[in-house]
Amino acid sequence: MTSPSDIDQLKTKFLAELETVSSQSDLQDLRDRYLGRKRGAVAVILKTVAQAPTDQRPSLGSKINKLKKDIEQALLARKKVFSPLQDRTNEIDVTLTGRKVLLGHRHPLTILREEIEDIFLNLGFEILQGPEAENEYHNFEALNMPAAHPARDMQDTFYLQDALPPQQLSSRPATLLRTHTSGMQIRYMETRTPPVRIIAPGLVYRRDNPDPTHSPMFQQIEGLLVGDRVTMTDLKGTLECFLQQLFSSDTHVMFRPSFFPYTEPSAEVFITCVFCNGDGCSICKKTGWLEVLGSGMVHPTVFEAVGYDPERYTGWAFGVGIDRLALLKYRVEDIRLFYDNDLRLLEQFSF
Amino acid sequence: MRILTSWLRDFVTFKASAQELADVLTMRGFEVASIEPPPYATELNDEDAILDLEITANRPDCLSIFGIAREVSTIYNTDLDLPILDSEPSKDKDSTLTVTLKNSELCPRYATLITDVTIEPSPAWLVARLKAIGIRPINNVVDTTNYVMYELGHPMHAFDLERLNNHELQIRQAALGEKIQTIDGQERILQENMLVIADAKKVQAIAGVMGGTNSEVTTTTRVVVFESAYFEPTSIRRTSKQLGLSTDSSYRFERGTDIKAPIVALRRVQAILTKIKAGHSRGPIVDRYPQPKKSVVIELRHQQVGRVLGIDIDSQFIVDKLKRLGFEVKKDKTEDDNLSWKVEVPTYRVDVNLEIDLIEEIARYHGYDKLPSSFPDLKQPPGPTEQWIPRQRLLRRLLTANGCSEAINYGFIEQAAAVPFLLDPNDIVKISNPLSEKFSVMRPALLPGLIDALVRNRRREHHDIRLFEIGKRFSHNDGETLGLGVVMTGLGKPKYWNDSDRQADFFDLKGVIENIFNELGITPEFKITETPILVQGRSSTVNTITEKGVEIKLGYLGQLNPTIAIARGFPEIGNEIYVAELDLEKLEQVKSTHDQFVAKSVPRYPSIVRDLAIIISETLPANSVRETIRAAASVTLASVWEFDRYKDKSISKGYVSLALRLTFRAEDRTLTDSEVDKTINAIVGALKEQHDAKLRQ
Repeated sequence: MTSPSDIDQLKTKFLAELETVSSQSDLQDLRDRYLGRKRGAVAVILKTVAQAPTDQRPSLGSKINKLKKDIEQALLARKKVFSPLQDRTNEIDVTLTGRKVLLGHRHPLTILREEIEDIFLNLGFEILQGPEAENEYHNFEALNMPAAHPARDMQDTFYLQDALPPQQLSSRPATLLRTHTSGMQIRYMETRTPPVRIIAPGLVYRRDNPDPTHSPMFQQIEGLLVGDRVTMTDLKGTLECFLQQLFSSDTHVMFRPSFFPYTEPSAEVFITCVFCNGDGCSICKKTGWLEVLGSGMVHPTVFEAVGYDPERYTGWAFGVGIDRLALLKYRVEDIRLFYDNDLRLLEQFSF
Repeated sequence: MRILTSWLRDFVTFKASAQELADVLTMRGFEVASIEPPPYATELNDEDAILDLEITANRPDCLSIFGIAREVSTIYNTDLDLPILDSEPSKDKDSTLTVTLKNSELCPRYATLITDVTIEPSPAWLVARLKAIGIRPINNVVDTTNYVMYELGHPMHAFDLERLNNHELQIRQAALGEKIQTIDGQERILQENMLVIADAKKVQAIAGVMGGTNSEVTTTTRVVVFESAYFEPTSIRRTSKQLGLSTDSSYRFERGTDIKAPIVALRRVQAILTKIKAGHSRGPIVDRYPQPKKSVVIELRHQQVGRVLGIDIDSQFIVDKLKRLGFEVKKDKTEDDNLSWKVEVPTYRVDVNLEIDLIEEIARYHGYDKLPSSFPDLKQPPGPTEQWIPRQRLLRRLLTANGCSEAINYGFIEQAAAVPFLLDPNDIVKISNPLSEKFSVMRPALLPGLIDALVRNRRREHHDIRLFEIGKRFSHNDGETLGLGVVMTGLGKPKYWNDSDRQADFFDLKGVIENIFNELGITPEFKITETPILVQGRSSTVNTITEKGVEIKLGYLGQLNPTIAIARGFPEIGNEIYVAELDLEKLEQVKSTHDQFVAKSVPRYPSIVRDLAIIISETLPANSVRETIRAAASVTLASVWEFDRYKDKSISKGYVSLALRLTFRAEDRTLTDSEVDKTINAIVGALKEQHDAKLRQ
């Protein structure tokens, strides 16, 4: 039968053992021996209280509870001594390099494309994708570029030896590699009615020999907005918003007249040179400006080709080369690096 | 096009410096690429500089000094002086030439002027101007036609009259195979659709492109026939393309010249010849112009200008600028709301046919820089996001999280690289005008490009390479399809000082593919396969089975046949390469279990884990073992996977020890040991019966 002195003895025994503890794991052992839920000494002695006379039970119970608290406190006090802060035997060299999980990297053109897509998604645009092998109609004719148009010289074209089967709702076999994403304007408008708010990213091909600023394949994003009351000032506002989000809020945007057969009026769009901040340098040819994209109001002939009434609707479109933006934004010196897939370049794009 | 500012000042007066002029022209759509002093000056002088302008394809009227002068006069609101023209000779003194216009469709207008000349070098001032804009002087007659072409934008040709058989000119289409030696010394063989100028016997010039040596003006020439015509742009462009011959003349004709210019240009030529005392015209001008062209008249609505540009532009400004540009503007309707004009387009503005073309002129002169910025009204919510967008983004994230970096390769590759990946050699998609043999066919798969990229990286001393690409593949049978390719070689995990190294193997790549399918919510099926691309016994198809039980082939993975990589330059003793290619087009059509995803409740009762080690035939596939276990187990089996597989001396030849970890859990209670034991017994029994499996002791 348990008496109060048994409890005191247990405490004395515990304190003696506590003195001999020399490590964190000893301390854990000691704790298990005394405070273990089933077989700990305190639990065992607590079970014997039930056999004591009824009148002694409360005082024995409270004495055991006090013992438990005392042991916990003593363990805690001792634990502080053995905390990792104090225990020098477990020291490691924290300056050793950490164990890595293999991580790959997205391609810089993907990173930039998704960034651009997100800007336009936030502005309420839809994203489309379309075929790289195109037909003459969607790539040229419907965009106000009939066969003998001199503007076709601006985009030297790769042709397929044998046509590929028609793509995406078109009945026309594909005979060429698209020279721009502008054909997506036609493909979309042919099957939808206004309002239209789309962007269409994708690869395009032009018969240019590779050099530091030319690649026979590159990525573009086409943008198109059509509605009842779409104006050129809207085009300016939207592209300013886009370019400032992409580069910096200090970026100045300049619009300058140009010529594209499928827009009228047409505008080339420039940003403050990212290399000299507009002061003039060799890259911007001392102008302080860098050309970044082409744009304009959708030509009425294009609307007629897709069955939109040009008296009712107006619209604007733009086409931007992602590669060029990436060269400027990431200061990569040669466009060919984007298609070489050198891990020494790719691994830098860790975002 | 190079223009000389002092030449510009023959027609228009302005105070601006060369730089200021360059800036305003640039902002009106004529980009100035450079400003230089003329060759006869040593430094840049504002009175006299060369501006190199880039003229867009729609503005052939500005391929001339006078065309630019007209723009300058519009910019500065100053007068435009016309070039001095010779008075038209009144009487036909000597009708020595017969001109027959046989094809007025391809040549709507053809005019000639005959002049007695004394061939000499041109005077210094004329030579200086030509040299300044980059034209080599030849003699006074040729130089004068060149001078007028650059001044007025109208190309002309000069024939030596005495070299023309029968003193006759015919404007006709060439006969197939007809030949001419052009003044560049080349013999050209002509086609039937080409327009030529011929005499009684032979072709003397390819119309609008280049003249022939036979009737070329030389030092002995005494009488010259000046040709000044309007040729149909598409015909000139076609001929120039077919012959691979582009000249200053064809460049202008194919963009469209002014149909009224032929006579003006001839009179200007004669005025200069008179001025430089080079000759006297025999006059009069012969003008074959059977169907005079009607001028274009466009209705311009003031409201429409605002509707397109987004701002109200002053009507007086519109009228003033259009008039300065040479448009005739008449008021049509005058009510405030419906103000409109009838605008007659000058014949040199071949780019203006519609109201929108006039609006562009107004915008150009208002200045794009002065247009305010606004934001479009969104009257409808955007459409739903297409499923491929989040899916492709997820794929990229998953692959990078699995250590693969993204590559983007050219869509065209070398034929030799494509061949191993074609089941049917006729399936290959060839480019008819490739840049080179290296880029001659469209890729039938993503792997050839990825293997080349892997080889390039290997050469740059990268040994551990993991690349993927998402892109289009091309074949005649399947057309254009979106695919995913993955290549992997080198270490299976990054080196670490207290870990052992391991080379990447089939199961590293399979793990990546399984991760992808898991995240996409699609269940993959792997089956051993044989293909020449992959090493036999180390290659698998990746398929999936639809709800309706249809098997869809999605792609393959395995160890790349080493000969393929070696053929592309990979070292013969290099590491194993593992590759996979999936058809994303087909994957896109598979229903994902993530559609209308609902989470299961978190288990409320603990699970019980049991390990089971069995000896089985080493040819027995692991998925058969798993299937047998699943079939024999009750619903309480939550998961099963292999955690060990080995062979040693204690195991008979042809057998292997496979250890599996089984986790049991019930949704509604805590499982008891005896309950689980019962299931285990059933499983062991089934394994014994179906696979002759023995429990390892």
